Amino acid sequence: MKRLMTAAMLFTLVAMFGTDTWAQSSAPPVRMAYLQSDIHHLALWVALEKGFFKVNGADVEVKGVFKAGPEIMTAFAAGELDMAYVGEAPSTTAVANKAAKVVVVSQVNTEGSALVVAKKKTNIKNLTDLQGKTVAVPGHSTVQDFLLRRALRGSGMALEQVNIIVLKPPEMIGALRIGQVDAFIAWEPYPSKADTMSVGRNLATSKEMWPGHPCCVLVSDRGFLDRHPETVVAVVKSHVQATEYIHRNPEDAVKIGIKYTGMDEATVRQAVQNVTYTYELSLQGEKEYVQFLSELGYIRLDNPDGFVDQFINPDILKGILSQ
Amino acid sequence: MALSLEISGLKKVYPSVAPDDNVQVFDRIDCIVEKGQFLTIVGPSGCGKTTLLRIIAGLEEVTSGEIRLDGERLNGCNEKVGMVFQEYALFPWRKLLPNIEVGLEIKGVPAKERRAEAMEYVRAFGLEGFENKYPKELSGGMKQRVAIARTLIANPQIVLMDEPFGSLDSQTRNTMQNFLLKIWTERKDTVLFVTHNVDEAVYLSDRIAVLSPRPTKILKVFDVNLDRPRDRTSREANRLRREILALLEHSEQYPCQ
Amino acid sequence: MSWKRLLPPVVLLLVWQGLSASGVIPEYKLPSPVAVAAGLLDLIRTGMPPGHRLHVHIYYSVQRVLWGYALALLAAIPLGIFMGWSRTLRNLMEPLVEMIRPVPPLAWIPLAILWFGIGGKSAAFIIFLGAFFPILLNTVSGVRSIDPVLIEAARVLNAGRRFIFLKVLVPGSVPSILTGMRIGIGIGWMTLVAAEFTGVKQGYGLGYMIMTARDIQRSDEIIAGMMVIGLIGLGIDACLRLAEQHLVKWR
Repeated sequence: MKRLMTAAMLFTLVAMFGTDTWAQSSAPPVRMAYLQSDIHHLALWVALEKGFFKVNGADVEVKGVFKAGPEIMTAFAAGELDMAYVGEAPSTTAVANKAAKVVVVSQVNTEGSALVVAKKKTNIKNLTDLQGKTVAVPGHSTVQDFLLRRALRGSGMALEQVNIIVLKPPEMIGALRIGQVDAFIAWEPYPSKADTMSVGRNLATSKEMWPGHPCCVLVSDRGFLDRHPETVVAVVKSHVQATEYIHRNPEDAVKIGIKYTGMDEATVRQAVQNVTYTYELSLQGEKEYVQFLSELGYIRLDNPDGFVDQFINPDILKGILSQ
Repeated sequence: MALSLEISGLKKVYPSVAPDDNVQVFDRIDCIVEKGQFLTIVGPSGCGKTTLLRIIAGLEEVTSGEIRLDGERLNGCNEKVGMVFQEYALFPWRKLLPNIEVGLEIKGVPAKERRAEAMEYVRAFGLEGFENKYPKELSGGMKQRVAIARTLIANPQIVLMDEPFGSLDSQTRNTMQNFLLKIWTERKDTVLFVTHNVDEAVYLSDRIAVLSPRPTKILKVFDVNLDRPRDRTSREANRLRREILALLEHSEQYPCQ
Repeated sequence: MSWKRLLPPVVLLLVWQGLSASGVIPEYKLPSPVAVAAGLLDLIRTGMPPGHRLHVHIYYSVQRVLWGYALALLAAIPLGIFMGWSRTLRNLMEPLVEMIRPVPPLAWIPLAILWFGIGGKSAAFIIFLGAFFPILLNTVSGVRSIDPVLIEAARVLNAGRRFIFLKVLVPGSVPSILTGMRIGIGIGWMTLVAAEFTGVKQGYGLGYMIMTARDIQRSDEIIAGMMVIGLIGLGIDACLRLAEQHLVKWR
């Protein structure tokens, strides 16, 4: 009886964790994810609406819409996703901590977040006024968390002087309104929404905190890239086309943004203004991420530069742009 | 101080849903217990012996009739009436000594005094060495001794005993009967004792009241004129026993309803 | 505790380590016992998030549970004794209790945050809800299960209501109350971690620690944290069992 139970236990363990090795390889749908109401991911929505993926021969299925970057990375770790639009900070942390195996294949945007304080609180004028206050971030090791800490450090403040708590962006405006938090930092369109609702005002945009900072990237699961490189190329190509479409057809882009965020036109318009949509990769930007994340103690890397080379794969993009 | 108990015209009816289906327990009970007397009530099961005691103790109400203790009407629980239960009813979370003390505690007697008096009972009842034991550690006979001590320490004027030795084996039972007689002889309390054991009744009592089946009334009251200490096996004892048993048998065969 | 009882967990640990080391179980899905031990050391020395060390998390969590639990005791035990004693009160309260009880404490989180804000108070409230009902129900049952003859014995001895209440009902229901207390703190402790997921202001708490470890993808620390939570729960239960044995020697 004991042997039977041990065998059953072993079998269960292997079945649960060992099945990765038995994945099939045929031309599959691409399981994609993005962040809820994150206007940074507009290119994805454009590509879906305009059928760019189909034209380029990729069968994209939106597997999940997540509330924050770390959740997307957990889904990668669980083998649920093939590609995703996600922040550079959470993806770096996940790969550095060996949770997920993804590579960055294209940039999605730079800038496009803001630190918002309550409109009524006119006494908070700059970052140092946040001392002793409570600020909400979408999660630990999100781009926004990163930006906030970096900015605080830059103002000479110690991180312990501010209460940083985690809230999902949909909850942030409500929390700000009733005074649960004194400020929040989130991706557009939430800062714009707080403004159009007259609940909050920008204390600092992310552009002011770190000009030109890389924000979201398009990542692919490493295994998926190895098995289906041509599919990944198709997706990146569609992304490039969509990004250029946003620049050429801003009105239509705004319409698509309204559809996918569910927010009003004024908010979406304002939000789109604050985002720089680009596919150009920045290794230097990633190096900054690696360095600061290490300083925060979120990751520990023996070879930071080697990591960056492994993490970012610029070849696919290069190949597409040279055509 | 012992008083006399008068029960007159006692009727007890348990109402039930159907109006003419009421259960009449007592038809008319009239009885007098003299000061210092040991009266035993015997009767068939279900005739309400226990109910009668509970009414006197104040645990149940009468439908009509009254009970007077030395002239005063009894109404509800009264410190003049003490009761010893068949199940001992000791507080399991209290050790032996605090169990005995309860009655004095309720009266507000200070701790030192309580303890001293309780210890007297411990000594008198042969319970030395067990003061700090919990009821679960005591034998049946010991538990009943504690229960009796608990009742007597409060100095009731009449002691009700509801088949107190019913759960004991016959050896212990005999021992306890002798024990009871010993204290009773010293203290001369008025005792109203209930049992279905005729032998016990004959051995212990001054008078024996025999009850009929329901609706219960007193069939006959016997005076037990045997000298104490009694011999269970004497001819007079046997004759009395036979008479009582015959009366009980007859009443069971021809119950009036 | 005989050595034989430790055998199955030890065997499980060895099997787990073997499967991890040989690569059958990938490291990121289920870290090996060795990795978890290293994660525990990290939690103790560096903390998660970095700078927030384990013992401070434990302090905050335990504090929240104690607050919620103490409130539950203060509310449930007296109410339970009265409900056990009075049929009228019981009939009055029972429908209300039976309606609220099945609602999981965690479902109260949005309301809790609205009433008490993000932070320790709402976490304590959630824990209060988790612990309250087992304590209440066990107290009621404890009072009702007191042998009625004990109450009658007290009445015959001319005990007043106060004596019966304090010196019969309360001591008589102690065993059940203790059982309810033990179940209550177990549920309270379990609810705590989830309650802390909603956000804690000071940035300390075991639930918060695990959430952060999740964000930073440190599954070794997640599991180490879970084990700490489990061990503390076990410790609390053991303490209460000891108290039970000591207080209820008369059973």
